[in-house]
Amino acid sequence: MSPDERDRRAATGTPSSVHLDGITKRFPGVIANDDVDLEVERGTIHALIGENGAGKTTLMNVLYGLYEPTAGTVRIDGEPQTFEDPGDAMDVGIGMIHQHFMLVDTMTVAENVVLGNEPTKWGGIVTDRARANRETQALADRYGLEVEPTELIEEISVGEQQRVEILKTLYRGADILILDEPTAVLTPQEVESLFDILRELIAEGKTIIFITHKLGEALEVADEISVLRTGELVGTVDAETATREELARMMVGRDVLLEVDKPAASRGDLVLDVEDATVEDDRGVVAADSVSLGVHEGEVVGIAGVDGNGQSELIEAITGLRKLTSGTITFDGRDITTDSRRSRVSAGMAYVAEDRQKRSLVMEYELRRNGLLGRQHLRPFSDGRLIDWGATADYVDDVIEAYDVRPTDPSAKAHSLSGGNQQKFIVGREFERDPSLVIASQPTRGVDIGSIEFIHNRLLELRADGKAVLVVSSKLDEVTQLSDRLAVMYDGDLIAVVDPETVTENELGLLMAGERPEDLDLDGARIRGTPA
Amino acid sequence: MNAPSLTRRQGLVIGVILFGLLTLGLIIDGGRQLISDVTGVLSVSYLTSAIRLTVPIAFAAMGGIFAEKTGVINIGLEGLLIIGAFGAVASLYALSATPIGANIWLAFVLAILASTFVALLFAIVCIEFKADQIIAGLAVWLIALGFAPFASIIIWSRTSSPSVGTFSTVSIPGLAALPSIGPLFEATPPVFLLALAVPFSWYLLNRTTFGMWIEASGEDPKSLDTAGVDVRKVRYAGVLLSGVYCGIGGAGLALNTGQFVGSGDTMIDGRGWIGLTAYLIGNYNPVGAFLASFLFAGLDALQLQLQQIAGYDVSSTLVEIIPYVAVLVVLTFVGRTRMPSAAGEHYESDE
Repeated sequence: MSPDERDRRAATGTPSSVHLDGITKRFPGVIANDDVDLEVERGTIHALIGENGAGKTTLMNVLYGLYEPTAGTVRIDGEPQTFEDPGDAMDVGIGMIHQHFMLVDTMTVAENVVLGNEPTKWGGIVTDRARANRETQALADRYGLEVEPTELIEEISVGEQQRVEILKTLYRGADILILDEPTAVLTPQEVESLFDILRELIAEGKTIIFITHKLGEALEVADEISVLRTGELVGTVDAETATREELARMMVGRDVLLEVDKPAASRGDLVLDVEDATVEDDRGVVAADSVSLGVHEGEVVGIAGVDGNGQSELIEAITGLRKLTSGTITFDGRDITTDSRRSRVSAGMAYVAEDRQKRSLVMEYELRRNGLLGRQHLRPFSDGRLIDWGATADYVDDVIEAYDVRPTDPSAKAHSLSGGNQQKFIVGREFERDPSLVIASQPTRGVDIGSIEFIHNRLLELRADGKAVLVVSSKLDEVTQLSDRLAVMYDGDLIAVVDPETVTENELGLLMAGERPEDLDLDGARIRGTPA
Repeated sequence: MNAPSLTRRQGLVIGVILFGLLTLGLIIDGGRQLISDVTGVLSVSYLTSAIRLTVPIAFAAMGGIFAEKTGVINIGLEGLLIIGAFGAVASLYALSATPIGANIWLAFVLAILASTFVALLFAIVCIEFKADQIIAGLAVWLIALGFAPFASIIIWSRTSSPSVGTFSTVSIPGLAALPSIGPLFEATPPVFLLALAVPFSWYLLNRTTFGMWIEASGEDPKSLDTAGVDVRKVRYAGVLLSGVYCGIGGAGLALNTGQFVGSGDTMIDGRGWIGLTAYLIGNYNPVGAFLASFLFAGLDALQLQLQQIAGYDVSSTLVEIIPYVAVLVVLTFVGRTRMPSAAGEHYESDE
């Protein structure tokens, strides 16, 4: 906004709903926000985008009263405010919907909505449940949020839980809603319905600030988009006219290739050969049903599918984390069906697991020890008896530098890193061990676009070096761009292997929804029915 | 927060225990005789003695529920009962030497205050100083186990006190005159307190706003905190309530017999631990906890009566292990006891 316009607004007495003026927030050794000015008009959706660690959440925690700014003022409807705690912010109508829901699983929807502000009866001691249910229902109807007040939180979907979170803030009288990465946990359909809800809310006069690092979402739903980079506000643009490329450049500070530039594959020998693999999930239900798949040297094979169609179990079977019910797995010409995880690692199988905090890191270990995990019995990290900490430290330092992991301190504990930095560290650890096969499950989940580009390029470099690469991702553009061949899984079946160059997004979507390839108008060249 | 129902679980447990007891009987002494003797023992007077034995167990169990539901596991129930029992007798003894005289109700209140004070220390250690709750709870028990006999020796020169006086029996007019079940309405005040405390506790947990906060504090303290309720206060309240309840239970037991016995495991003799197993079997529901307590106390009373009346040689040690075996059976095979998610975890607000 130009100074002229600001003066005009001040003169006409229509101040912005939210006005952050020169907000600076310093933590010991770090400036998280540096002189940030932000204005959000009443009745609009304002997206706040930036890479991991750009200071988005810190800025919103200042607005929400969780942090006190080192310098600068927060004005709401023109009035300067100082918040001691989130309760003060709530008093002037600011509510935050956290990325991790603040809901009590064993209580009902309505009980969670009213928690802390309960309607009571009989002298204020007894919770008036009937009224809580009624008021929750009324609020839900008014804003088009579909929930059932008497259901338990643990019995409803993640999308519904998010609606309960929104209702909670509305129940407390919030006019300004801050949503921190609200789409991270939602399915595409749930994202759409969230956006409908947000539009409904602004139609009712609410103001919404929406933190995200997904450009597409910001462009789709926001009126204005502000970009933060390393704690500074790069600029605010109109979502109508902004482009993905422009926003990406603002976020990263340089041009970003949103498309992957991929040279032709030079396919070599078969490295991984999975034949008729049947795998059961934890409940003993068949998750992957006689799946056959091969990966060659110098080739990227992608597996696409909606989460929960057997991809995870198949990958766990290949990596040795889960037993096969039937079938065989051959790796570098050797039958490894019954081999231990450890011997598969020793044979050169690298694995970026889907759930990084459960499978890839010990959160209480510092990066140095995490860098060693899985290879603690192999040279150069160990001579078979004792660990060579010097060699380990060198390796970890290299990974941290090459993959731009922040903080750059190898003695930082894993839990002190943001999700994106954890992911970069894991990817680096696995990729740099000279594997002959790389299996990457959701390799860029939760990672910002600058790092996504980097990870994609590294995967393609591994391919150019003649490594075999298997990528599983629920991001369609990721698997289509990276893969030379793309397998689609639905309900435990590998239903087709297609050519990602020629298949359309629509066709892929139908395959992922369970349509058989023979029912689609896919010609022979575009289906590669042979698994190997 | 729908009240967990007293479903098949309790039924199954009761079945398992009765089955075990009957099997035991068959092995020991030809079953038919045992069954007829057991039914002979099951009279109203048996019932009243079983209820009397239930008092300390059930109060400890309900106290444990309040603490653990807020997220603080209080395994020091046994110690708090000891403090309650000793506090009651010592207070009554001390009061008799003052102009106030041996006021039994005043001694009862002082005992509750003593137990609550120890619970407060436990709460401070766990909440402010973030001590491990299990270790702090064990410390409460061990300290009480050592302190009460030690203080007894200082006061009375031996680990047990002389008789100091008991609660007199109260009859409920009208009901006590009823045929056959009349004796049930003739009991000491702690028994009637228990009859009130069970529905009161259930109501407090399941219907009041405070009960909702207790649930949230134990399940997801961060949610409660962001909703603007001070988690620390709720947890203090839960632990202090466990102190109050254990005070009532311990004092109730001691003022029934009129004496504090400090030898061995003291007169509490593991009833706090049984209370702990009782609320696990009752799945954190005060009514379930009461029923489980009553069952265990009933078995204890049965064992006593069988030995006295029919001359059975059932080892009391064998009967004493029943609650622990039962809780193992429940937790292993029934497995529907659901601990509060955040029980045992410290909570620190971000602010």
